[in-house]
Amino acid sequence: MEFATYRNDVWGREVIRGVSWDLLWLVVVAALVAIALHAVYEAMRKRGERPSSSGERVKRHDSIDRAYHWIMAISMFALLVTGVLPIIGIEFAWLELHWIAGIALTVVVVFHIIRSVFFKSGSEMWISGKDLKEPIDNVKPGKYSVAQKGLHLVVTVLTLLVIASGIVMFLQIDTPWWQRTNALSEAMLGVVFFVHGITTLALIGVISLHIYFALRPEKLFYTRSMIKGWISRDELAANHDPQRWTPDESS
Amino acid sequence: MASFDVMPDIQLYQPVELDDALSLAERYGDGGWVLGGGQDTYGWLKDRAKNPQAMIDLSGIDSLRGIRTTDDGIEIGATTTLREIIRDERINRDFSLLAQAAGRVASPQIRNVGTLGGNLSQDTRCWYYRRGLACYRAGGNLCYADGPESMNREHAVLGASRCVAVSPSDTATAMVALEAMMVVASASGVRSIAAEDFFVGPATHITQMTALEPGEILTAVRIPSKWAGQRFYFEKVADRDVWDFALVSIAVAMRLEGDSIAESRFVCGGVACTPHRLKNVESAARGNSLSEASADAIAPLASAGAIPLNYNHFKLPLMENLVRRAMRG
Amino acid sequence: MNDYKLVGKDFTPPDVMGKVTGKAKYAEDFRVDGMVFARMYTSPMAHGKVTHIDASAAEAMDGVIGILTADDVPAVEAPNGAILTNSPAFIGDPILAVAAVDEKTAEDALAAIKITIEPLPFVTDPLDSLIAGGPDAREEGNVYARSREGSGFRTVKWTKEQIDDFRAGKEPTGEFAAEWKYGDLDKGFADAKVIIEENFVTTGYAHMSMEPRTAMAYWQNGTCYVHGSAQSHTFWMPGLARLLGIETKDLVLISENTGGGFGSKIGAYPIAALPGYFSKKIGRPVQLRVTGEQEYYMGSARVGFQGWIRMGFAENGKATATDVFIIEDIGANATGGDASSAGGAISLVYDPDAMRFRGLPVLTNTTPRGAQRGPGQNQIAAVMAPIMDKAARELGLDPLAVRKINAANNATTVYEEQRGVTSAYLEEALTMGAEMFDWENRRQQPKKNGSKVRGLGIGQGYHSAGATGFDGLIRITPDGKLHIHTGVGNLGTYSFASTSRAAAEVLKCDWENCEIHNGHSEKNLPWNSYQAGSVSTFAHTRTNYVAAMDALRKMKLIAADTMGGEPDDYDIDGQRVFLTENAAQGMSYGAIAARAIQLGGEYSGQTYPDDINEITQRSVQNLAGSGLVGVAKDNLPQEGTIPGLACAFVEIELDLETGKYEILDYVGIAECGTVLFPAGLAQQMKGGAVWGMGMAALERHVYDPQYGLPANVGYHQCGIPTYLDVPSVTRTGAVDIADPQNPFGARGIGEPAMGCSVAALTSAISDALDGHIFGRTPVSPDMIVNHVTGRDQSFLPLQTNNF
Repeated sequence: MEFATYRNDVWGREVIRGVSWDLLWLVVVAALVAIALHAVYEAMRKRGERPSSSGERVKRHDSIDRAYHWIMAISMFALLVTGVLPIIGIEFAWLELHWIAGIALTVVVVFHIIRSVFFKSGSEMWISGKDLKEPIDNVKPGKYSVAQKGLHLVVTVLTLLVIASGIVMFLQIDTPWWQRTNALSEAMLGVVFFVHGITTLALIGVISLHIYFALRPEKLFYTRSMIKGWISRDELAANHDPQRWTPDESS
Repeated sequence: MASFDVMPDIQLYQPVELDDALSLAERYGDGGWVLGGGQDTYGWLKDRAKNPQAMIDLSGIDSLRGIRTTDDGIEIGATTTLREIIRDERINRDFSLLAQAAGRVASPQIRNVGTLGGNLSQDTRCWYYRRGLACYRAGGNLCYADGPESMNREHAVLGASRCVAVSPSDTATAMVALEAMMVVASASGVRSIAAEDFFVGPATHITQMTALEPGEILTAVRIPSKWAGQRFYFEKVADRDVWDFALVSIAVAMRLEGDSIAESRFVCGGVACTPHRLKNVESAARGNSLSEASADAIAPLASAGAIPLNYNHFKLPLMENLVRRAMRG
Repeated sequence: MNDYKLVGKDFTPPDVMGKVTGKAKYAEDFRVDGMVFARMYTSPMAHGKVTHIDASAAEAMDGVIGILTADDVPAVEAPNGAILTNSPAFIGDPILAVAAVDEKTAEDALAAIKITIEPLPFVTDPLDSLIAGGPDAREEGNVYARSREGSGFRTVKWTKEQIDDFRAGKEPTGEFAAEWKYGDLDKGFADAKVIIEENFVTTGYAHMSMEPRTAMAYWQNGTCYVHGSAQSHTFWMPGLARLLGIETKDLVLISENTGGGFGSKIGAYPIAALPGYFSKKIGRPVQLRVTGEQEYYMGSARVGFQGWIRMGFAENGKATATDVFIIEDIGANATGGDASSAGGAISLVYDPDAMRFRGLPVLTNTTPRGAQRGPGQNQIAAVMAPIMDKAARELGLDPLAVRKINAANNATTVYEEQRGVTSAYLEEALTMGAEMFDWENRRQQPKKNGSKVRGLGIGQGYHSAGATGFDGLIRITPDGKLHIHTGVGNLGTYSFASTSRAAAEVLKCDWENCEIHNGHSEKNLPWNSYQAGSVSTFAHTRTNYVAAMDALRKMKLIAADTMGGEPDDYDIDGQRVFLTENAAQGMSYGAIAARAIQLGGEYSGQTYPDDINEITQRSVQNLAGSGLVGVAKDNLPQEGTIPGLACAFVEIELDLETGKYEILDYVGIAECGTVLFPAGLAQQMKGGAVWGMGMAALERHVYDPQYGLPANVGYHQCGIPTYLDVPSVTRTGAVDIADPQNPFGARGIGEPAMGCSVAALTSAISDALDGHIFGRTPVSPDMIVNHVTGRDQSFLPLQTNNF
């Protein structure tokens, strides 16, 4: 299986056209297999009682962060739907929806970055050496587990790449604000399409896993916290090390 | 750069039954090339710009040919030649719009063998695309015809989305004006598509001109009696009077009640990737009579929403002028 | 009126039957044993350097016989066109050829070849190269000036202000490469009542030969046999031999029919030599078939003009002064000269009292340019007609009167040297045309009818129409037949046949008793002129005349020798030589020919004049002893420019709402001396009219400037006129006054037949639009719609190679 497809440029030179969309099925299958394996593994694993969601609540996510998350999620979902469905043969006028969603995602990501770096402790999501020892030493994490941090990092990198390549692609079409120039070399255009495509595929894989974990029974309280903002004291105690995360009590 | 002009090896099927053609179309899918009159086939194949595995020649299928009367109008088989349409008495009497449009297709020689189905399904004439460049329409990732210096005099002013090619079909405008239904068959059945939906634009189908999917064959066109014998206007402006494609064309069907227009369909060719209905003109025309005054009042609406490219802003006044001429009476 | 038997009479040229039945053979119709099929790989890039060729996959294919690259053929110094090149300078520049057992294999092989080309800057519009910082079409420079003093590359740049001013219609102030003048220009403008100043652009467009420049070649005992597509025949041979690196005697050229050349096949072009080299390399006959698409890439195009003109007129309409500046788009191979010819045409057709010409030939990475019917004369004819109309309008004169007062006549002088003409009767042509057209009456008719307006136009065309110094060769065989050997190429104008009739006329032969030998150099052809520049009629009625006169002299000598008396006592008729006083005493041509063979010497070609060309000499040597041979070089006196002239009158009906116009009537009048072949002349006038109509309204040369891509690679995109774009009837006539410098009074007409048409059309369009001058050909419907609706045109002023 090829990773990329190729075409001839205007002068007959072979250039990359973009990612090979055959990979989409590979990604989908790989994600499903991974999920299935994990599900089986979890099913076979013995677990204690799940922590209770009742009782005292502590705040896990500010409302603004939750809003960011869900706007990002919606725009990402819109981008995936508008970007991928036409490729698999479900045809509709997708382009404007796609770039409008792209603008929404970009704006939210920029705000999120600014807020995270300047108004919050950016280190909250930083993966330290200690984090990496969590699974080995079997210690509880702080606010975010190394898996969560890792997922965030991967999504961050992929999203930034997909946005960056998307912006370059956006510049190659006519919009209400500018006319395309065809100034980018066709070889570079192909690379940009490839980056956009391959990151899209990776995002499909990663987001599939993210959704799977978000829906897993033992993790569902995180999803609730992303909707409602709080987790229970019990859930905190069961999953986090109070030494490493002291949440705001006033939820 | 190689230059190709020799016919490549290709399977040729000459079915005499539609079912056989449909099963071949299904078997070959994307790799099948449905052949009508062949007037826009051999160039593509000899140039190696399109490389299908098999040609499915429909000319031996009798059921696809001829003009028949139906309960509500007429049905024209897809491989009926344009010449047969031009000379058909019933079409000239009831649907002269179609006869006129067909009479302006290409040249008499081409009309003698070119089919209605082929004319309706033909590919765009964008010269960049015809050159065999891997543009959006050919599955690539850019449009050569819409750069800051691109030579796009003949391209779209409406409905463009990345690709700026236009529909070259003269009969397509008439079919949309006459509210024709396209009968499309495949191995899994038959579906009818309104002419207006049959022609598709780049926003949804950037590599297709019609809603025909691989495996499907346009078998006939049904024209309802709704517009039979009504007032029609057709005009095509092209650089040349023979063997040329519309810079702008117009096909108009109008139903008059007394002196005033009760209902109308105004359809422009050569301005978008599909026949372009001038809905604002249609609604403005309602209740108006055919006169110089109403022509002047309504014509400026024709180009509403048009976005010209480098070399085609003349299409805007030309659209307006053609509407003006249709409205003069 | 003359009492010619053949001159001025219609006949069926011998090639007609083959053309209407399809039996006529063109270069690609020939097959010889062992022949292989070659196809070309051409440059996909407008300008570049080939850095790597990987033909290994192609060479490994079954059926592939060989590859020919630029390394296998002689290198050619830029800007001249090469047979194959590693420095392509336009899209379609030939890089490589592959030969295979059949065409499909050759195509498959082409598809497998990988060539790496390093791109270089390119340009498609001369003004984009001329502007400071603009790209040069060649690394050596952007201007190639050819002159008697020396030719060479230069880099010429104008400032942005100079370019902007030029586009705005002001007099160009940038550097130029050529200049000539006569008279007192300042005085001329001071004397003028009206001064018209306009800029203009005429698009160069493809020659569009229906037969691409296919060639086939093989070698036998050191002789190279070439089947080619040639506009001229023997004139081709020295050039083709040079390209092949052989002597002319070692070349056999076969070109029986040519599917159009229009100026692009005048002399041997480089690609015609490719099969010779390829055949030598692989040891098999090679046919290189050029595709229709490739013909558009390299089959050449007319030179485009971007210019400015200022012209002064006296109160009576007489042109007092002309100042003209022309930038020529000379493509990548620097074939031009049209601009100066345009200046020359102005000096003759409108005969201003004083004139200055300035020119600048600029290279572009577009189709190689070449002479095309009326090269220079016809572009400027299109420009001049509306200017003459504007002058008439401003002076309150009839446009016909302004043409007449300036019309070329026997006293007209031409070019910088202000040399005279052999004869010229343009005023008579205008009078004749105006009568046929009913000019006066039509001028009185109402102009506007709804959205339609009528426009009347007058056009004039000119090209020098003659050459001298070529050879004639005829032969009478003992069967009494007259064999006329002609090296005139068969480019589709019938001139090879119509000029041959001159010999039969002199010898009073029945045409049925004559046989033309042409199209194959083994048919022993004389050295003849190029079939271009409208020269054939003048040049080869003369060569056949001198050859026939030589034969006549010899026949009379033989008659006197055989039957007694003096040669002058004898006369000819009915294919007999007889005593003037007693017609019964004579000899048939057959008997004379048999006697000539017995006598030998000059009579049967054993000896021949010293001054005939080596090609003619060899032909005579081959024919020696086969009959009475008449052979001579055309040393008849000749002085001054030999003008071919024509005028046209046209009426159009232009629809202001669609920008389309219909040509209602067309009258074309030839002024070409005595009419040689009426049907042929009518065809020339009609064909020229159609071509002019195409140039005026339709024919395009379109390049995408960003990618250097040509849009015009087929008949459709190029926009040649079709039968519904031209009037169903075009009327023609001829002044038919003999020219004193041709034995039959004939001059050529080919090129002016088109120039008058395009000029009449631009004049009529301007008339329909109340005198608006587009200053551009072609004038397309979009331009008219934009003008009528008050919109700007889509292109920049003076932009070329656009729609």
